[in-house]
Amino acid sequence: MIASIPSAVLQGVDGCPVVVEVHVANGLPGFTVVGLPDAAVRESRDRVRASFASSGLPWPRRRITVNLAPSAIPKGGAGLDLPIALGVLVASGVVAPEAVAGYAFVGELGLDGSLRGVPGALALADALRSHRLVVAVEDGPEASLGGGTCLTAPNLVEVVARCTGRRPWPGPPPATTGPQGTDDGSGAAGDLAEVRGHLLARRALEVAATGGHHLLMVGPPGAGKTLLANRLPGLLPDLDDATARVATRIRSAAGIGGATTSLLRRPPFRAPHHGLSAVAMIGGGTGALRPGEVSLAHGGTLFLDELGEFPTTVLDALRQPLEDGVVRVSRSHGSSTCPARFLLVAAMNPCPCGEGGVPGGCRCPPAARARYGRRLSGPLLDRFDITLRIDRPADTELLDRDPGESTAVVAARVAEARARAGARGVPTNAELDGPALDQATSLDDRATACLEAHLRSGKLSARGLLRVRRLARTVADLDGAGDTVESRHVSEALFLRGGRDLLFGEETR
Amino acid sequence: MSAGPDEDLDCAAALLDLAGMTPVRLAKLLDGFGPRLAWRSVTAGTHPADRGRKFARAARGVRPADAARRYESAGIRLLLPDRAGYPAALAGDPGAPAVLCADGDTSVLEARPAVAVVGTRSATPYGVKVAAGLGRELAAAGVVVVSGLALGIDAAAHAGALAAGSTGAPPLAVVGTGLDVVYPQENRLLWERVAAVGAVLSEAPLGTAPRRRVFPARNRIIAALSDVVVVVECHGRGGSLYTAEAAARRSIPVCAVPGSVLSPASRGTNGLLVDGCTPVRDVSDVLVAVALARGDAPVRAAGTAAGPPPVGGDAALGLDRVGRLVWEAVEDTPTTVETVLLRTNLSLAALTEAVADLVDLGLLVSGAGWWSRA
Repeated sequence: MIASIPSAVLQGVDGCPVVVEVHVANGLPGFTVVGLPDAAVRESRDRVRASFASSGLPWPRRRITVNLAPSAIPKGGAGLDLPIALGVLVASGVVAPEAVAGYAFVGELGLDGSLRGVPGALALADALRSHRLVVAVEDGPEASLGGGTCLTAPNLVEVVARCTGRRPWPGPPPATTGPQGTDDGSGAAGDLAEVRGHLLARRALEVAATGGHHLLMVGPPGAGKTLLANRLPGLLPDLDDATARVATRIRSAAGIGGATTSLLRRPPFRAPHHGLSAVAMIGGGTGALRPGEVSLAHGGTLFLDELGEFPTTVLDALRQPLEDGVVRVSRSHGSSTCPARFLLVAAMNPCPCGEGGVPGGCRCPPAARARYGRRLSGPLLDRFDITLRIDRPADTELLDRDPGESTAVVAARVAEARARAGARGVPTNAELDGPALDQATSLDDRATACLEAHLRSGKLSARGLLRVRRLARTVADLDGAGDTVESRHVSEALFLRGGRDLLFGEETR
Repeated sequence: MSAGPDEDLDCAAALLDLAGMTPVRLAKLLDGFGPRLAWRSVTAGTHPADRGRKFARAARGVRPADAARRYESAGIRLLLPDRAGYPAALAGDPGAPAVLCADGDTSVLEARPAVAVVGTRSATPYGVKVAAGLGRELAAAGVVVVSGLALGIDAAAHAGALAAGSTGAPPLAVVGTGLDVVYPQENRLLWERVAAVGAVLSEAPLGTAPRRRVFPARNRIIAALSDVVVVVECHGRGGSLYTAEAAARRSIPVCAVPGSVLSPASRGTNGLLVDGCTPVRDVSDVLVAVALARGDAPVRAAGTAAGPPPVGGDAALGLDRVGRLVWEAVEDTPTTVETVLLRTNLSLAALTEAVADLVDLGLLVSGAGWWSRA
């Protein structure tokens, strides 16, 4: 007899519907799983058999063949345990086929028959929205965020009892709607008021948060680059519904942050160590394609501290996601597209000794300085709209000055300016493309003359011009200016954009 | 043995080119022998300074005329002590090189007065500005500027000397590498211009690569060739202190340009001042030191009176209120953007706009995170 049970597996961060077909027939007793299962799925034979024994369910002493359709795509993860178990029960006649009609199942079985959660429950639920989805109790809140019908059970016996109508399904699990913090172990916290001095860097953070402009900070050790970067997430507004759903799915698919009980509302902050591999950065890996740091940072901030220490291959892998907002990972057995729209914030030292910012303090040979600066490829550097020198604040600023504005005050300004960008139909000015930018940004005469002078002198490329205009638009938004961008906004944008010479130039103070 | 028209020069070239030769060993080989005799006894294996017969083996099959032709075809003159062309300042010097290679116009070697302007390779904008100014004004006053063609202060001093134009005194460079090995590459153009207008000297044979030890040795020649040594900027330890020491040993006056006590790049020069060196505020201080050293009347600096022209007051005239505010907040030395923001209390947009105007007017220069007056 044959049974077909709908289920789903993760492909990158998306759920992919899978039908589990179980055939029980006469022959030598055996259990075969076909349809490109990975090791976890093949091991499910033993888990399923043990859970049957623990639950007091009869195990058919016949030949069992399990096919995972479509059979061409590789399947991974232990979430197929439950559908396989149900399939065996139906195919061996223990449960009537009508009892499981309309249901889909996702869950890992313990040897005692208990039901365990799986990563990516939200993505799987999205893929099975037309079914009544049965998941483990701990996956209930997350799976019900998908909006479909979601049912939970603590173990295999209860699943059978509730499907066959011997016991009722409990009410839908409570879906919490409260905001969830960005507590992903990255340490992003703190209020901007705790930062003394750094007028320039504060301004740069504000502009970056408003326009979604990528930011590079260069300065000596101890200047406060990391301190400042950690305060950037606080300036960003809450995620909108669509982004929050995607960000939650990515996080869940990666299996980080523990059980998900609500949508991720605060923008994520990812600060990977510079030892990470290219695969960890953009996603991939053997077996199931796993989202990388660029996807985990979707909707939020990716902070790369000590940018000069990252392998160049990892940095150059960032170029495509920075341009497209998605990352495409292709492997021999399949490819996957993950959303990866993030604000890139990076910090590095000006030279190997780190003291290049102190007058005459750098003892690095000029060649070593130049080599250090060259670790950043031109195309990557070009994608930083804001490049900034950060110096250690003077003693007087650390001791005497009043604390600066708090995160709440600046975040309010950011939200107000972002609303202006929102009126143009884009979340941030960084996403304004050519025609929309032309329409939104009319330069006054002096501003035009200023930009033309920079273009003619070769200090600005065509791509640079586009980026400076977006940046100037953001500065004007913060200034509360209307459609016209004035020359002072363009001056500030040109200053903030900086460039390689200003960051790593031979002539240092 | 066949020999060219000038057998002494041929033999000197051949000895200079032997594998394993250093300036010190060469001096020992030539001492009391002279090139011809030294070459013969080295090839015969009887030279007392060639104990291990190392050079005898190296000299096997070498034809002195070929060695000399190599230098000739590269346009390099070999200068030997006691012969015409060898600089008089080095004659009788305890560390005088036994053979000098010269590129360019060797009459510069006899031009007096000569002042060495040296300093650190990792110079600050302040040091570069002062070195370039001294170089230009010394050359304009007819003083040969001697330096080492290194990055930083050396390069700035020679660039300044060349900027004085054809009426200025020609520059003189002493380098550590072979004359066909331009080091550092960044200075190639400068090197070629110095060789074209003045002269470049080296005691190393052609093809000598930059090595750590060749540079301090080259510094003693710089000191010995000069009437006065000026150190513009120098860290607490550094090659320029060798030059100063070599000069002091030869009783050649050493002057130093004072710098900020907070600047690591001025630690060495400020230390020299504490040790009693003459401070240099502008070119006239150097010219007075030269006159004292040579015992003649001070040379007047050509053109303007000593000291930089007073830019500040005049230039700031005609600026609007914001421009003047920014101008006053920026110092002659690099001032961080942060500091200017604090002083002016302007928004970043207003400040950057004003600075862009001032830069266009040529009143300010901008650098990596700082601005300073031009």
